[in-house]
Amino acid sequence: MTPAAHRLNLLDRPSVKAALVNRWPQLILRIVALAGFLIAIVSGLIGTPVGSHNFGIVFVWIAWWALLMLIAVPVFGRGWCSICPIPLPGEWLQNGAVLGPQKKGFSLNRKWPKRLRNIWLQNIAFTLVALFSAVILTQPGITAMVLLAFLFVAVGASVIFERRIFCRYLCPVGGFIGLYSQLAPTEIRVKDAAVCAAHTVKTCYTGSADGYGCPWLLYPGALTKNTYCGTCLECLRTCPHDNLAFNIRSLGADLRQPAGRKLDEAFKAFIMLGAALIYSAVMLGPWGALKSAAYSIGSGPWLMYAVSFLGLIFGVLPALFLLAVAAGRALSGSKATLKKSFVTFAYTLVPLGLTAWMAFSLSFAFANFSYVWPVLSDPLGAGWNLFGAANVSWQPYLTSIVPALQAGVLIAGLVWACATARQIAAETQAERAALIHALPVMGFCCLVTLALMGLLIA
Amino acid sequence: MKAERFARLLVLVIVVGLPALVVAARSASRGPIELRGVMADEGGWAPAEITAQVGQPIQLRLTSDDVIHGFAIGQRDWPAVEVLPGKWTTTTLVFDRPGKYTFYCTRWCGPNHWRMRGTIEVAGDETATVSEAPPLYVTLHLDLDAPHPGDVAPVEKPSAARGAQLNVAPQIAAGAYREQRPAQVWRYLRDRASSSTLTDQQVWDLVALAWRSNTTTERLAEGQKLYVENCAACHGETGKGDGVMAASLQTANTSDMPGLIGHGAVTPIDFTDARSMLGANSAILQGKIVRGGMGTGMPYWGSIFTEAQTWALVDYLWTFQFD
Amino acid sequence: MPSVRSSSRWMVIGLIALLLAVAPLPIASAPPTERRFRIEASSFHYTPETISVNPGDHVTIDLVATDVVHGLYLDGYDLNVTADPGQTTSLSFIVDRSGAFRFRCSVTCGALHPFMIGKFNVGNNDLLWRSIGLAALAVVAVAWSRPR
Repeated sequence: MTPAAHRLNLLDRPSVKAALVNRWPQLILRIVALAGFLIAIVSGLIGTPVGSHNFGIVFVWIAWWALLMLIAVPVFGRGWCSICPIPLPGEWLQNGAVLGPQKKGFSLNRKWPKRLRNIWLQNIAFTLVALFSAVILTQPGITAMVLLAFLFVAVGASVIFERRIFCRYLCPVGGFIGLYSQLAPTEIRVKDAAVCAAHTVKTCYTGSADGYGCPWLLYPGALTKNTYCGTCLECLRTCPHDNLAFNIRSLGADLRQPAGRKLDEAFKAFIMLGAALIYSAVMLGPWGALKSAAYSIGSGPWLMYAVSFLGLIFGVLPALFLLAVAAGRALSGSKATLKKSFVTFAYTLVPLGLTAWMAFSLSFAFANFSYVWPVLSDPLGAGWNLFGAANVSWQPYLTSIVPALQAGVLIAGLVWACATARQIAAETQAERAALIHALPVMGFCCLVTLALMGLLIA
Repeated sequence: MKAERFARLLVLVIVVGLPALVVAARSASRGPIELRGVMADEGGWAPAEITAQVGQPIQLRLTSDDVIHGFAIGQRDWPAVEVLPGKWTTTTLVFDRPGKYTFYCTRWCGPNHWRMRGTIEVAGDETATVSEAPPLYVTLHLDLDAPHPGDVAPVEKPSAARGAQLNVAPQIAAGAYREQRPAQVWRYLRDRASSSTLTDQQVWDLVALAWRSNTTTERLAEGQKLYVENCAACHGETGKGDGVMAASLQTANTSDMPGLIGHGAVTPIDFTDARSMLGANSAILQGKIVRGGMGTGMPYWGSIFTEAQTWALVDYLWTFQFD
Repeated sequence: MPSVRSSSRWMVIGLIALLLAVAPLPIASAPPTERRFRIEASSFHYTPETISVNPGDHVTIDLVATDVVHGLYLDGYDLNVTADPGQTTSLSFIVDRSGAFRFRCSVTCGALHPFMIGKFNVGNNDLLWRSIGLAALAVVAVAWSRPR
């Protein structure tokens, strides 16, 4: 495998390479993230119950979410995973060290059960969080419990299983970050496969004195997609032949990789798309009954809401999509099985879903970002004024241009999704047949885009 | 090895130290009393009872855990303090006389807003307390809960200005004014020779004039302010008893779980109902305000309004009948 | 020749896109009138949830808080008003911007406060129509384009 065309290896610049290979910059960022994470939990437990003045709510669901959806994921793919605080305490225990490899750590290092080596658990975890989000996002105490639960599970996973099992198979955030990282203009890949072939020890997977074997259980020598690479940068440190590159590349490059498309990832795309539609209606719409239903957990209206929520993401959207794929398949005379067509074309929804979430996040984040300043000065809502901004009042930002921004993002996403549909079809069929196969799927994407426009811009 | 040790130290100091610092800073005991407010249904003020000493300032830090509230001490003219969700306001109180003071919420926060009250027990030299006289309705032996229909009513709203143009002196003494009912006064004026040439409506205008001349513009303005802030939510901005809270009184009355409101709740009084109002007197109105409705949902304001404030409010209530 | 044809396709598409984006759309021709709306604010929605007016109207909103102190902030106009229960507060303004705007509660009123939202429609939502047009054009453009 020769290095793909149109790649710019950032590691060719010595300063960049030094900054990434050196463990300290990454450790500093990790320490800051972990401290922030723990302060968020503390704020949720002992701070004011008023969400808008609580560091936990404002920094997790407004600041972090906005930065994640609008910058980190589209630009850096799984870049957040590189500094995410959740797995760190467990990983440090597991490694017996905070910095580089030391002597033994503390873990049973069990292998993850084969049957669970997919993202279905992550799909379920995300769906549950999304279903209860009206309460989680507004109650600091509940947010704290959820974050503590993540931490507990992550530490438990590190102590029982090998490497970053939590991140790879359990983390609900990782489920969608992984899927959307296929779109990012950054990647870590080997430069020359021949070098890997000649290197028998494969220290990028086994580890060495310079670094850990890939915590994400990948073999970097064969890495073709970003999905499960958490950009932890260990392989940059362990490869004795300097064969790893941190590339800038064009958007959506991984979508052009036909191999490795799976049903669990396809369903993740539906879950994310459906959740974007529902969140846009419930949180940004004017319908009070919907919001009450989403919030009053256990009540009759909530049950109806839950059924509709699950019905949309696991039923209606996939069913409609299946119809579109089936129509295209039949009309174009495709030889592929319906299931294969369904799974491969589902990757059209990856760019569609990312842009849907970006459009949603634009409104939500800009309207509420001004809570960040007072909460930095008074994280617990205890009357402190650390940086003098405690009395800055709420002010929505850029409300007159946000709708136009949302429209732009949605249309760009639609173009991207349609282009992806055509490109996926062209992998197995000639030009005209491929276009016919792709058209109903493009129609589906258009319908979803119109629905999002109706919810966000109308 | 050295780098690892330093890294571990950094982790300890920042990852463990910073959150621990936050917890410690919050838990450190402070001088002022922290007073947290939530809607009465969820608990009201915490603490609800505070003690103090005469002449000793007590400092309070106030916050809300849900919606906007306010804080004021009953029967004191100290300005109300905002109690804001997630933010803190500070106030210092000094009491010059011992006794039991009521503090209350000053911003409507649900149908049970008026139940959001607490007490400050101020200890000191007991001989300094002044005993209060009983309210007028007690002295007059009036039954506040008995219906009081007036047997006559005007065709249009009586106007004191029109009454003034008639150049007839209504002759009602200020003291008697509080005991007199408009319907009775109308009957009395109707029967007098000096008003024999006047129409019924014009006699009503004289009644309006009598009521107006027993109050001042300042008292009416104060009464209006009190009404708007305390009464309009239930009794309506136009006095019709159709305020935004009226519906919840009805709902509580008929529901299985009436909550704090209880089953005895009734619709708020319509002050524009001439038949009923004109058969009442100021003493009854003042008594109702001071004593409350005894389970009907009407709050008792005796510990909140001063006597002067209550009379000013009563003066204002008459403006729903008289211009 | 293929390259000329594909570049001329892109020019056509670009032109239509430009048209859709900036061509003037018919303006709602109703004469400006006085409009008055009573909006009840309760936790956590407004009644009515949506109001529609025409450009140029002189609009007065009477904000009636029904349970706790609520506010109303109008996106795009940057106008804000707060009301206590029992004290209706009015906001009066000339509607000079067209489109669809959200109004939100501006006073912390409980858990779902950040989601307390209503909609204010002024005339035609040009942005929506243009976006729908551009979305359709996007599908056509991608379908029409030559694969690389």
